[in-house]
Amino acid sequence: FLLHRCPWLTKAISPAIPVYNGLVFLFVLANFSMATFMDPGVFPRADEDEDKDDDFRAPLYKNVEIKGIQVRMKWCATCHFYRPPRCSHCSVCDNCVEDFDHHCPWVNNCIGRRNYRYFFLFLLSLSTHMVGVFTFGLIFVLNHMEKLGAAHTTITMAVMCVAGLFFIPVIGLTGFHIVLVARGRTTNEQVTGKFRGGVNPFTRGCCGNVEHVLCSPLAPRLLFLLMVTIERLIRYIVEPKKKQAVSVKPPFLRPDLSERQITVKISDNGIQANLNRSKSKISLEGLEDKSMDVQPPLPPKGDPSKYSELTGQLGASEEGGLSPKLISPPTPAMYKYRPAFSNNPKVHYHAAPEQISMQEGHSQGALIEEDGRSLDYQSEPSLDIPSYRKSSLHKTYQSSPLQIDSFAISSRSLSLKSAGRRGTDKVPLHPMKSEGAASTPYKSIFSPNSLSNRNGSLSYDSLLNPMSPSGRKCIAHSAVGSVGYHSPYLSAKMCHLRGSELQRQPPQSFSPVLGGPAPHQRDPSPVRYDNLSKTIMASIQERKEMEEREKLLHSHPDSVFADSGVYDTPSSYSLQQVSTLSEDPRSMAMRYGSRDNLTAATSFSTRNPILQSSVSSLSSAMTRAPRTSTTSLQADLANNNVQAHQALQGRVSNGSYKSPGHQVPSSPTGMPRSPSYGGPKAVSFVNTVEITEVQSVGAQRDDMQLKTPHSKINGQPKGITRLGSTSSSQGTPVSPARHSNVKKVSGVGGTTYEISV
Amino acid sequence: QVHSLQELRRSASLATKVFVQRDYSDGTTCQFQTKFPPELESRIERQLFEETVKTLNSFYAEAEKIGGSSYLEGCLACATAYFIFLCMETHYEKVLKKISKYIQEQNEKIYAPRGLLLTDPLERGMRVV
Repeated sequence: FLLHRCPWLTKAISPAIPVYNGLVFLFVLANFSMATFMDPGVFPRADEDEDKDDDFRAPLYKNVEIKGIQVRMKWCATCHFYRPPRCSHCSVCDNCVEDFDHHCPWVNNCIGRRNYRYFFLFLLSLSTHMVGVFTFGLIFVLNHMEKLGAAHTTITMAVMCVAGLFFIPVIGLTGFHIVLVARGRTTNEQVTGKFRGGVNPFTRGCCGNVEHVLCSPLAPRLLFLLMVTIERLIRYIVEPKKKQAVSVKPPFLRPDLSERQITVKISDNGIQANLNRSKSKISLEGLEDKSMDVQPPLPPKGDPSKYSELTGQLGASEEGGLSPKLISPPTPAMYKYRPAFSNNPKVHYHAAPEQISMQEGHSQGALIEEDGRSLDYQSEPSLDIPSYRKSSLHKTYQSSPLQIDSFAISSRSLSLKSAGRRGTDKVPLHPMKSEGAASTPYKSIFSPNSLSNRNGSLSYDSLLNPMSPSGRKCIAHSAVGSVGYHSPYLSAKMCHLRGSELQRQPPQSFSPVLGGPAPHQRDPSPVRYDNLSKTIMASIQERKEMEEREKLLHSHPDSVFADSGVYDTPSSYSLQQVSTLSEDPRSMAMRYGSRDNLTAATSFSTRNPILQSSVSSLSSAMTRAPRTSTTSLQADLANNNVQAHQALQGRVSNGSYKSPGHQVPSSPTGMPRSPSYGGPKAVSFVNTVEITEVQSVGAQRDDMQLKTPHSKINGQPKGITRLGSTSSSQGTPVSPARHSNVKKVSGVGGTTYEISV
Repeated sequence: QVHSLQELRRSASLATKVFVQRDYSDGTTCQFQTKFPPELESRIERQLFEETVKTLNSFYAEAEKIGGSSYLEGCLACATAYFIFLCMETHYEKVLKKISKYIQEQNEKIYAPRGLLLTDPLERGMRVV
């Protein structure tokens, strides 16, 4: 248009036309850029500490009164705060935006408080521009009617048509927004019909609204968009070793950034500062890591100076921002990163505590490794966030397999173990801190990890249940893969934790008579136990055997699991018991209840990577238990030295303890009790025992049968049994007696199991 | 003093936090509740705290005020195709700087001696103090 017609128009009408059109066009472009690249008023995610109270107990809505009208504030699960009025969460941008209007696809940005004016002006100017183009084109054509076929005219006509075509929707939208501005509403409010009743608490009157839109000062950018190149980010992360002091500063004014000399191309746009967030997180982590020294290299900056620096940078970036080219490429990247980043902060936090714990840890190697890992995490944020998250998760878990100080941790570790246990030879004694920290972010994943066994188990349950069908397999496999010795230790530790936890919770259900407690015991998630047993199994069993068992048992676990969720909890309880037992045989006595058997079994299994030893210890522990069930278990355990695993896993099924070989004699007595005892424990034990047995013989069938009565535990036991079976490849003659209700299964080394179906 | 403040900040992440939420009674203007949080009952005088919050509120009100200067700013920005933002900081930003200075000063004088630290709302997205 400009090229073709301006010369003529200039000559024909006035020289002002191209100038005018140029100006309008420039105006359109400027507003468009501002609307596109300006941060619409994104609210950064709330820090962890801010939402800790709210996250789980938060009611979804909070009422607040605005100018006499009740307005509901909704809790934003992604951003972790109650959305201020007129704030809405944009799913495209994955951010809460202040005064959220809409997400404009043409501009590919949210329209919110800060850029609404530019958006509005953009619409106006665009309309004007189109009108102008159309008019002038019309004039041109009219003036050249005689030469309609000429190239110039045709092109002009084409341009006119396009302009005319686009004119209609643009005008429509412009008019719509004019109405909105007059009413003082946002598109969001209009579309959702919030104020259909007519009362809008946000309106300032027609004139006031217009004035507000056009003249209000530019609100501050709450989320500073720092487009840090990846290299910079990595460099930044790698540098933390240098202990650059990171002062706790507002996340957006972190001196770290300038410290690291990250090219901050702060673009005054809508690109969400996920990177910024991550950066702030990283800096936070770094801060924690570095013991928060004031960084010497960083020129001391007061807040204002930092701010000005940032703003200066912002200014610089604005320049860049104004050129679409600069900004647009990062935008998609930012968007890409954003979800990851939004998830990352938590991970980062974990990494950081991990780092910290690592630093405090004992082994340098582990420390370095952890640091490296956390560094890796940090360096990866923009690159590979999902994997990072996962890896960090796993690493977090794996790195602290033995950090089972707290119940929560243990539960987590258990879950971790189930998730994918790898022999962690180097188990730095990470302070539980990391675990704790890790738990925090994952609380969303796991139900709140309270110290109560039940809660933990429940959370674990939630974790395990979904994955039970697959998880078992995975667990089994992972168990197989895990280092034999380590996992028992790990599991032992876990048992410890559990045991300790168990101790904390008076075993209500533990009664000499298994009948009573059993129902109670069911509640705690047996999952824990399962995990533990799995660990044990893994350590003992060979992978092949496990896989074999898996196949065999797969059918069962599913069914078994389906059977009793209740059982799961008891098993966890039992697991705990076991752990306790492992720690202190005497404590086992404490636990005696139906769980004792299990704990005994687990304890000794955990203690000794070697089945036999564990079995023996367990059996010894068991001997303490006056209960018949326990005794049976003990006996089983004793017999099952060879099949230590089995003993461990020989969860006392309902009424039947599967201890390799031990239980046969006493099982009948024990077995009847076990049902009340809590299948889960028994099951788990049995499973473990079974597994060992199964190995040697087609005990898998037995296992499976054993498992059937046991609900969830079976799932775990299956893995265990698999393991057990693998370990007991020594040829445990699993007696076909298993098939009967009270089966006597002879495990490895001549141990017989009694499994009550 | 800056140093001590920074140290305070460092430890702030480990300290107990009390959040002063925003007060939306006047619409979406940025105001903070002057209600005295019970956790601070023993640590600082009610009067001092309220005064701090009120001052902050007044600062924010000033920042958001639509006046001649802000109008001119807008026009100028528009006229220069918003290039002006590269050179100049907006009225709001100026006020924000004032606010952060004020907060720092308050921290030094009043809150640090009591072992408290006031964080700039800007850090948390203007949602809490």
